[in-house]
Amino acid sequence: MTLEQILSARPSPGQPRSYDFPPFERTVLPSGLQVLAVDVPGRPLISANLLIRRGGGDEPAEFAGATVQAARAMTEGTERYPGVELLEASERLGATLHVEASWDAFFASVDVAATRLPAALELLSELVQRPTFPEADVARLRDERLNDLLQVKADPRRRVDQVFVSTIYSGDSPYARPLGGDEETVPRLTPEVLRAVHRAVLDPGQAAFIVGGDLSGLGVPQIVAAAFGALAQDSSAASGAGALPPRVDSAVDRPIVRFYHRPGSVQTELRIGHVGLSRRAPDFHAVQIMAAILGGLFNSRLQMNLREEKGYTYGIGAGFDMRRGAGPFSVRTAVQTAATVPAISEILSELDRIRESEVTPTELAAARDYLVGVFPLRFETPGAVVAALGGLFIHSLPDDELARYRHEIEAVTIADVQKAAQDHIAPGRLAIVAVGDADAVGTELQAAGFGDFEVITEEMSAGEAPAGEAPAGLDGGEEEAE
Amino acid sequence: MTVPRVRFSDERLANGLRLIISEDHLAPVVAVNIWYNVGSKHEVPGKTGFAHLFEHVMFQGSRHVAKAEHMALVQAAGGTMNGTTWLDRTNYFETMPSHQLELALWLEADRMATLLDALNQENLDNQRDVVKNEKRSSYDNRPYGAWFHKLQEHLFPPEHPYHHPTIGSMEDLDAASLEDVAAFFRTYYAPNNAVLSIVGDVDPVQARAWVGRYFGEVPANPAIPPLGDLSLPSVIGAESREVVEDRVPLPRLFFGFRAPRLGDPRFDALQIAGQILAGGKGSRLYRRLVREEKIAQDVAFFSLGLIGGASIAAGQATVRPGVDPDVVERAFEEELERLGREPVTDDELARARALIETFELDALQRVDERADRLSMYATLLDDPGMINHQLDRYLAVSAADIQAVAAEVLRPENRAVITYVPAAGVAAGTEEATAA
Repeated sequence: MTLEQILSARPSPGQPRSYDFPPFERTVLPSGLQVLAVDVPGRPLISANLLIRRGGGDEPAEFAGATVQAARAMTEGTERYPGVELLEASERLGATLHVEASWDAFFASVDVAATRLPAALELLSELVQRPTFPEADVARLRDERLNDLLQVKADPRRRVDQVFVSTIYSGDSPYARPLGGDEETVPRLTPEVLRAVHRAVLDPGQAAFIVGGDLSGLGVPQIVAAAFGALAQDSSAASGAGALPPRVDSAVDRPIVRFYHRPGSVQTELRIGHVGLSRRAPDFHAVQIMAAILGGLFNSRLQMNLREEKGYTYGIGAGFDMRRGAGPFSVRTAVQTAATVPAISEILSELDRIRESEVTPTELAAARDYLVGVFPLRFETPGAVVAALGGLFIHSLPDDELARYRHEIEAVTIADVQKAAQDHIAPGRLAIVAVGDADAVGTELQAAGFGDFEVITEEMSAGEAPAGEAPAGLDGGEEEAE
Repeated sequence: MTVPRVRFSDERLANGLRLIISEDHLAPVVAVNIWYNVGSKHEVPGKTGFAHLFEHVMFQGSRHVAKAEHMALVQAAGGTMNGTTWLDRTNYFETMPSHQLELALWLEADRMATLLDALNQENLDNQRDVVKNEKRSSYDNRPYGAWFHKLQEHLFPPEHPYHHPTIGSMEDLDAASLEDVAAFFRTYYAPNNAVLSIVGDVDPVQARAWVGRYFGEVPANPAIPPLGDLSLPSVIGAESREVVEDRVPLPRLFFGFRAPRLGDPRFDALQIAGQILAGGKGSRLYRRLVREEKIAQDVAFFSLGLIGGASIAAGQATVRPGVDPDVVERAFEEELERLGREPVTDDELARARALIETFELDALQRVDERADRLSMYATLLDDPGMINHQLDRYLAVSAADIQAVAAEVLRPENRAVITYVPAAGVAAGTEEATAA
């Protein structure tokens, strides 16, 4: 055969090997702490993760950032190990301990070889149960957070994320604030405040300890019980907050444009959207398909239009950040300054189009086949399996949620997709939030009439910043095509 | 703890394509990874950014694949894919459910064999616009965005190809023509300039047959031009400094050093040194500059392995408000000099070794990482077996090795220092300048 004959025939797939999400075993300790053990044979590195259903979304508004700062401060010393001695002890085991907080939960985790799991969990337990919150270190972490807020202002990408959420959520909604706290709340985060958060977090009734990897020969419930069996909450701290989703409200009731002036910007950073959905949305699977077609797949409608046809951007995505409460829906991109107005026009027309007309059978198949087909790839390592089970626990989803996932995705119809778009994308309350050069395109943007228009030329006091983010610039230098 | 050994086969097709296959049936997943031995170091003045722009063109279709269809086919099969360009090489990769392996091989073969059939001005112009937006987004519109490009300029002389950034310049991107694309493809995108690694849930006999079928008839290029001598003196000779004004609230220091090439045992020692200097809260730089003296907001130290004359070792510290950047610089440099003056402690070395063992075990769990490393070691060092020796080499590094490499590399006459400072009107605690 000639090369042409060989290459002109597209291969067809072989017989798929069956894949099931690995089964897990649940044990409930007397304290109420759930222990989930998931055997992933052949994986000698064990992933162990304590998660507690209490995060930044559950803290009082005046102490915004307290859960994140408490998590960071827990590695600053414990009763038995002052300073960084505990971290050094864990490093001798080849283990890095992570403590962090999201909007939804508090996490303490370690990846370690199976033989060293008991020793690593002992250290993790000390760190979680007996931190001392030293005054000087807590003060330093406060300063670091305030300095990071300064950095947020200078970085258009982080800045637009911050001002987008403060625009779409009402001021009393936790998600309007930065997860790590802002200039107003961070100075209040004293050791006493962090200790109070710590007491409230340690609620075994809202906690799960999930262990994944090759568990042969390991008695996971016994090992976890030895380290965390005594986990208990000070009765005075019981709040029950973790059981309820945070309450959030929209601050936007008509289309608005907020242009944050950053002179000399060569691109406009754009976030367009509104308050979205919680993870427990009943039409979750239809929303997944709809979001994939709109802005999730590489060849999503937004990518094909704004990148592959117009060349306005390096990349554009859209989706729902689903939390215990209603997280944001957003379209996210950065476009060359001169393309700001046409880019927004195209985005708005794509948001209308997916509501007003049905997606094609080809589009439905592309999204469905991707989400179904990529399922086994998502769970190659124990860390990914443990994280997925953590998601089920955080959102109180049924045990068979992951086992049913592919069937649910396959059952989504074209009508379901359109209904999801109509129900959850709301052109009437879209916030168009931009960080860019208003001198260059402000007049044109105002004249475009996308909504109630305002240019903000002064710095805002709020600042969004993922705590513990790596310093910019050290993520390698490779240029990627995607 | 023992890191599992990666077993693999290593062979060449008649047309020169190097094929590496490694079986692992734990998950129903297979990684396909192809490295072309061409990177931005192959670019000549006036054509910077070309290797990377070309990488984008590789996703614009070939004779039997339409524009953007590569992504559509891979994703519809439940796979993921991308490509990246760097100083020494360009790579393309797909991770697929294992029953879709043949599709990935066919896609890679079709573009290796027939890319130019689909090339047109419209697609080139479109991807040129996309890449220019990538440059704006990743560098030009980012605080401190040019730091690595500045280090390249200071560490490598203008005639050396590591002197210029992989992303290129706007002028050169504008000048790239269809003829340039075609010539670049014919020169470098040949089977004898590529390594194909297949790792995961694969039947090697079947995979070898498919590779032979789809790639076997793609013609070699017997006349790939040699790169020329990129060797350099081991040190830059005298400290090189630059102060950069940028729209940033906090000053940030970047340090760069010429370092031994990838594959040199001294480079392994430098990697361990980086862990001891800045890996985590117990590391020397973090402990002193961030925790104790509270003069820096963050610190980092790492090394990038390269083969064209020298690697790059680099460090970073963000200066706290109200602190003199010179104070931070002196403290940072004192710690680098101390590393060359006295041996690290047994405990520091033991902690670094234990962590690196876990990092390696973690990284090698995934089939995509194993495939990328096999391709990398075959392309850059002609030794894919390094995948099984790298950890031993790290663990063999002694305190004396670290002291020696620190004394040799991290010294003032081999140092570039880039100091970012707030531009006039931008300072910590003040409002950003709003004048245009």
